[in-house]
Amino acid sequence: MRAEELKGHLDALLLATLEGGPRHGYAVIEALRQSTGGRLDLPTGTIYPALRRLEQAGLIAGTWSVVGGRRRREYQLTPAGVRALSGRRAAWRDFSAIVTSALENAGLETPNLENGACPSPNPA
Amino acid sequence: MPESEPRLIRGYLEVLAAQLPGPIVEELADGLTETHRSYLSRGLSADAAAEAAVAEFGSAEEILAGFARVNPARRTARRLLGFGPVVGGCWVAALATSRSWPGPLPTRVALGLALVSCIGLLAVAALDRRYRVAFYSGVAGCVGFAALDASLIVGVLVVAGVASWVTAVAMAFSSARIALCARAAAAAQQNT
Repeated sequence: MRAEELKGHLDALLLATLEGGPRHGYAVIEALRQSTGGRLDLPTGTIYPALRRLEQAGLIAGTWSVVGGRRRREYQLTPAGVRALSGRRAAWRDFSAIVTSALENAGLETPNLENGACPSPNPA
Repeated sequence: MPESEPRLIRGYLEVLAAQLPGPIVEELADGLTETHRSYLSRGLSADAAAEAAVAEFGSAEEILAGFARVNPARRTARRLLGFGPVVGGCWVAALATSRSWPGPLPTRVALGLALVSCIGLLAVAALDRRYRVAFYSGVAGCVGFAALDASLIVGVLVVAGVASWVTAVAMAFSSARIALCARAAAAAQQNT
């Protein structure tokens, strides 16, 4: 799956990776990779601006620590982030159920021919 | 990143460091180091691991564009530019109704030039994709607008007082803009 297909869903995915506790950027990327079976094709450097955006929105909070002589920034969900994740999960379940229903059942409906409409002929 | 790290990674981080604030580059360096280590642990040579890590991270342009979009100065500048005509309109109405234009002609010209400069700085902050340029333009624009608002409020209070409800509204809007600038400055300090 490419980055553009993820548009609008990346924030929820990032929030979900932080549900289990604080993580730094690389650990977030690894968690995302593991939870999706490695099927996300994202330039990992683009995760960092997204984390900053979530921090600015007050959904996650970042703190600095020093590990192996390097400064490391760890992020954790804020109460607003927990609520946002819950809301996005519910919205995704609804959206997913609607699209699945439409994709799997739409073609099974009997066409209404009473008003003279007829199925379009096969262009081939 | 230590001296022993491959030149490719150091060069990559130098490109980012030329545009981004130090703390952001430190965070990226940490992630890149971990990515590099991960490839080393899979048996790649140092140079091959560096190539793989940089490729996985994405181009410096992509990362810079990502940070340009979340630059707090950009968001604040857009808010101030959107809010500006409302505040400006209120002040024009207030000064016109109270007939207390600020000072002699040279003072008015100086205020006008300062206003145009602040708008220009905020426009740069709102549109420029270079993080540092947008950031410092935004900070300068915010400081300028806060100073202009404070001067207007103090000047009108000294000269004419709160002559009408229009003046009161203009002062309230200016105070709100000063508060927005102060909050943005505090957030900017956190981000650098």
